[in-house]
Amino acid sequence: MYRYDEIDATLVAERVAQFRDQTRRFLDGKLPEDEFRPLRLRNGLYIQKHAPMLRVAIPYGLLSTRQLRMLGHLARKYDRDYAHFTTRQNIQYNWPKLEDVPDMLADLASVEMHAIQTSGNCIRNTTADHFAGIAPDEIDDPRPYCEIIRQWSTLHPEFTYLPRKFKIAVTGSPADRAASEVHDIGLHMRRDANGQVGFEVLVGGGLGRTPILGKVICDFLPREHLLSYLEAILRVYNQEGRRDNIYKARIKILVKAKGIDAFRTAVEAEWALIRDSALRLDVAEIDRVRAFFRPLPYEKLADINVTQGQSADFQAWYRYNTRPHKVPGYRAVIVSLKAHGEAPGDITADQMDRVADLADRVSSGELRATHDQNLVLGEVRQIDLLETWQTLKALNLATPNIGTLTDMICCPGLDFCSLANAGSIGIAKQIHERFNDFDYLYDLGHVEIKMSGCMNACGHHHVGHIGILGVDKRGEEWYQITLGGSASGKSSLGEVIGPSVAKDAVAETIARILDVYVARREDGEEFLETVRRIGVDPFSERVYAAAH
Amino acid sequence: MPQLIKNRALCNNEWVVAGSEAAGSATRLLLPLADYIAAIAAGEPADSRAVLLKPEVHDLTPLLPHLQHLPLIAVQFGTTGEGRGYTQARLLRERHGYKGELRAIGAVRTDQVYFLARCGFDAFDLVDGDDAAVAISQLDRFSVAYQTSAGNLTHTRMRYGHQG
Repeated sequence: MYRYDEIDATLVAERVAQFRDQTRRFLDGKLPEDEFRPLRLRNGLYIQKHAPMLRVAIPYGLLSTRQLRMLGHLARKYDRDYAHFTTRQNIQYNWPKLEDVPDMLADLASVEMHAIQTSGNCIRNTTADHFAGIAPDEIDDPRPYCEIIRQWSTLHPEFTYLPRKFKIAVTGSPADRAASEVHDIGLHMRRDANGQVGFEVLVGGGLGRTPILGKVICDFLPREHLLSYLEAILRVYNQEGRRDNIYKARIKILVKAKGIDAFRTAVEAEWALIRDSALRLDVAEIDRVRAFFRPLPYEKLADINVTQGQSADFQAWYRYNTRPHKVPGYRAVIVSLKAHGEAPGDITADQMDRVADLADRVSSGELRATHDQNLVLGEVRQIDLLETWQTLKALNLATPNIGTLTDMICCPGLDFCSLANAGSIGIAKQIHERFNDFDYLYDLGHVEIKMSGCMNACGHHHVGHIGILGVDKRGEEWYQITLGGSASGKSSLGEVIGPSVAKDAVAETIARILDVYVARREDGEEFLETVRRIGVDPFSERVYAAAH
Repeated sequence: MPQLIKNRALCNNEWVVAGSEAAGSATRLLLPLADYIAAIAAGEPADSRAVLLKPEVHDLTPLLPHLQHLPLIAVQFGTTGEGRGYTQARLLRERHGYKGELRAIGAVRTDQVYFLARCGFDAFDLVDGDDAAVAISQLDRFSVAYQTSAGNLTHTRMRYGHQG
């Protein structure tokens, strides 16, 4: 993975000093609350319902075991022994004290981490495919480019006060595991006819109040132009994006208002003036960064049948919680943070330490955080899978449910977030209780539930096969259900099935929806395919029949 | 009264926004772009008229013929979250080669000064109530940066787009 040099280390250390000074001025009454707010947000610090919340950046989801142990240390020393992984592959602490945050940031800096631009109207943490570098279907490893984008976007002076937040996702495979079509910019690695690496560029995707899928602005951008093209898009957005209405300030609204063709014309006009500027990446710089992500010195192994003669539990875990690796004899392991009864994405300090130990023992000493709130051990030899499973099982991190109904995306919701209209975690637990029969879950196959406690859509509900959105109805928590969303390539936005349902009726509603699927599916058809084929009406009819 | 910072020091401000309360009998006037162009065309003295650049101006073309003789361009920030002036500044410095004074006015506070300087501002009309010494110290807050930009801070080594 990328390692800091003197420039990186100095910059992060100076950023910590800056924030320490800003916090002191705030606590001394010299910096008014409304002026401190955008400054603390740029360092990942929110003021939430109960306490501040600190969001730490995990660039493109990649994490060393040393860093994970530090995250555990922070949970123990400054928080309540746990933390929460987010849909931006970041991690959040829910109970720090404001005056401790500069020390937390200093601790993070000691392991080459920071919380820079994890909030605020600026370029956020760039996300990527969590199987980057190991996926069998990969065109090229996107992480070097993510790191280049990280550096370019960090404390970029011109784009410090954008109209609104700005999110970039990069994927190196044809399969989209980074929800790139619902990002402000989505970058898809491609090779041209000569084998040269470049990017298909999408712009103007996003969720929130106005969900829109990104549109192609450039079919193939040669990689040396990556930064100049991004800078051209950001410059047009910074100048022309709306600033009069927070709900219309994202780039998706600008792209929609101008039309993609006019927007492209504006970007290309700007790009023409800067494409051969100092922003042009030379091969030496790209290679310098690529060298940090060289493939491991893999052992020469053959694929083996590891499940033969093993328990049904291990077989289920192998089937659901592991994925192919590009190198024979290896496998990627998904560490499920979706144990039934636990808040999705939560992990305790002890679990962090033990998973780090495990990753050192059986994987590469690195982990990946996924945007659907799990962890990945990317480089596990197949002969080590049994031991890996046993260790994870003992830690309650081997629930064999990845890709099933209970592998939910879930925001912190009303329990923590001051923006939320309704709880999410309680609903997740309700779903866990209702759907605790794994044979039934396996029969249902691949179903993605995504849940947000408000329309800001941190839980990506619009792109859930089943989306759940918490709404406030006269002071009560109600839930709007959508069907048919997806962010895995050929993306689609879910369609609302009807009036929102009461809090205690969410699991029952989902049960009825699944009944329709089971009754109507055709051979081998996944849930999403059935919804797309028959539309939402049959589901609505069943949900709203009689009982409601 | 805002505090004018130039060359890392407080200094007197001789320029006022035309039509403002403070204008009074002042002779050195800041005018919105269209008014400035009209004033120069009408023969008003070029050394005591300057441009007040509003955030919504993103076509700088009408300004370009005047860059050579303009003593000052004041870029207006309505709020601290206003970000358009950063782009205006870079374009003026880097694309159009403007060498005169580039001043940030309006909602200009201590913690913006560093980023403003990196985009090419060399004068800051700091809001009343902020400590000018603290604001000046922010100019040296970072000794390294990742991006090329118009402001040349001392000791700055840039990775993307700089041979330093």
